Amino acid sequence: MDRNEIVKAVNSIFIERFELEESELTPEKNIIEDLQLDSLDIVDMIVGLQQKFGIVLRDNPEIRNARTLGDVYDLFEKLANEHPEIAEHFK
Amino acid sequence: MRDRRAVVTGIGVISPLGNSAPELFRALKENRSGIRLMPEWHEMFGKNIANAPVCLDPAEVKKINRKVRRTMGSAALFAGMAAQEAVAQSGIDTAVFTSGRTGCIIGSTVGSASSMTEACIAEYEGRRNDLSACHFFRLMSHSSSFNVADMFGINGPQLSTNSACASGLQALGAALELIQLGKADVVLAGGSDESTPLVASSFQLLYALAEEETDEPEKLSRPFDAGRTGLVCAEGAGILVVEELEHAKKRGADILFELAGYATNCSGWHVSHSDELQIANCMKNALADAGIDAAEVDYVSAHATGTRVGDAAEAAAIRAVLGGDTPVSSLKGHLGHTLGASGALELAAVAGMMKESIVLPTRNLENVEDCAGILLPREITPHKVRVCLKNSIAFGGVNATLICRSFN
Repeated sequence: MDRNEIVKAVNSIFIERFELEESELTPEKNIIEDLQLDSLDIVDMIVGLQQKFGIVLRDNPEIRNARTLGDVYDLFEKLANEHPEIAEHFK
Repeated sequence: MRDRRAVVTGIGVISPLGNSAPELFRALKENRSGIRLMPEWHEMFGKNIANAPVCLDPAEVKKINRKVRRTMGSAALFAGMAAQEAVAQSGIDTAVFTSGRTGCIIGSTVGSASSMTEACIAEYEGRRNDLSACHFFRLMSHSSSFNVADMFGINGPQLSTNSACASGLQALGAALELIQLGKADVVLAGGSDESTPLVASSFQLLYALAEEETDEPEKLSRPFDAGRTGLVCAEGAGILVVEELEHAKKRGADILFELAGYATNCSGWHVSHSDELQIANCMKNALADAGIDAAEVDYVSAHATGTRVGDAAEAAAIRAVLGGDTPVSSLKGHLGHTLGASGALELAAVAGMMKESIVLPTRNLENVEDCAGILLPREITPHKVRVCLKNSIAFGGVNATLICRSFN
């Protein structure tokens, strides 16, 4: 998976679940302060990402420490390299 | 006379016959039915089952703030949208909602029957981790109540009366008592419920569902009729703005009617068998609470759902308490049984009857046999309705009666 595919997939979670506009979704945006997600939304973000990428994230400290949308893109770029099954999940 | 009296200054409705109180009342006057066959349920039941569903406009639903909407199942959405109508009609200054003196009491049989089903399916299929963080909040028993409180910023008492089909009327009774006790000045109160295959099959199992094959589903719900075979499930919400009388007068509110008295009891012996004696006791207790004589009752808005035993027991109780000269009708012939919403939702029609001095008949009532001895109008009847007695009767042997009195 390339970075563009990852950005598109991650963004789709924020558009579908949190009713945000695609134009708002830029890497520097803080998930809580800028995109206005709260604690329940963060859990639903993880649930959505798990479904989208076909992996279990619940106990992953890196997703729980993600502050910006860019952090989420970076994490999934790394995970896609480490876990080829993520790319398979997208086929 | 008590120091603090409670009046209704706004009513909102989501129903199978329209998503506002005026729409509902117009449909009832036109003798329309909200009941249809559900081909989408055919596979689950192996036959055509009748039901009375609600249809919401998705654009209207989306106007509710996402951070409230995300924890709402359909029942809470119905309640929220009905509450918006009630609050708008009341013209109340919404600043009172955050004063600590406004409460919210909304009851349902199940917080959200559809969300409960979804959770069970996810669990069964091993998809527990796919459920939203908000899912449990949609199905909790007080989901409608806290969601409506959150919609309006209400920070006074928040309660939920979960007594199946008496939930809505018990919520209004609790609102009346909260105001009488001086613990609130305003309460958003009522009931909401969803009709799902899970709900309908619960009644079917007990032989309490009208399920015969027919091309005329609108004739299946036949309260008090000799040919009745059971109830037809329905869904919706009825929410009322209940306000302390002086509070309402001070702001020049239009008062729709007074909640003059209330009682609730239970049979104490059987979960599903209607108890004529305890229904009668509940009615008597509510009249005594209101300080109103049985002879003053102008109209009975009956619970009667179309079941063999339930309707006969309620008719006998009405006969015993009020005699045979007071007009009685059940709106479940038009609407089906809106379950926990029914008590509050049907009061929207009572307000219309009071205003227009008419009594609506029971749809599909043709022949009275075992329910004889009470006055059951067959058509819209001109009649001054100053005092209405409203019954709700529920699984658990629960009864509730509310006395509504026109104001002025």
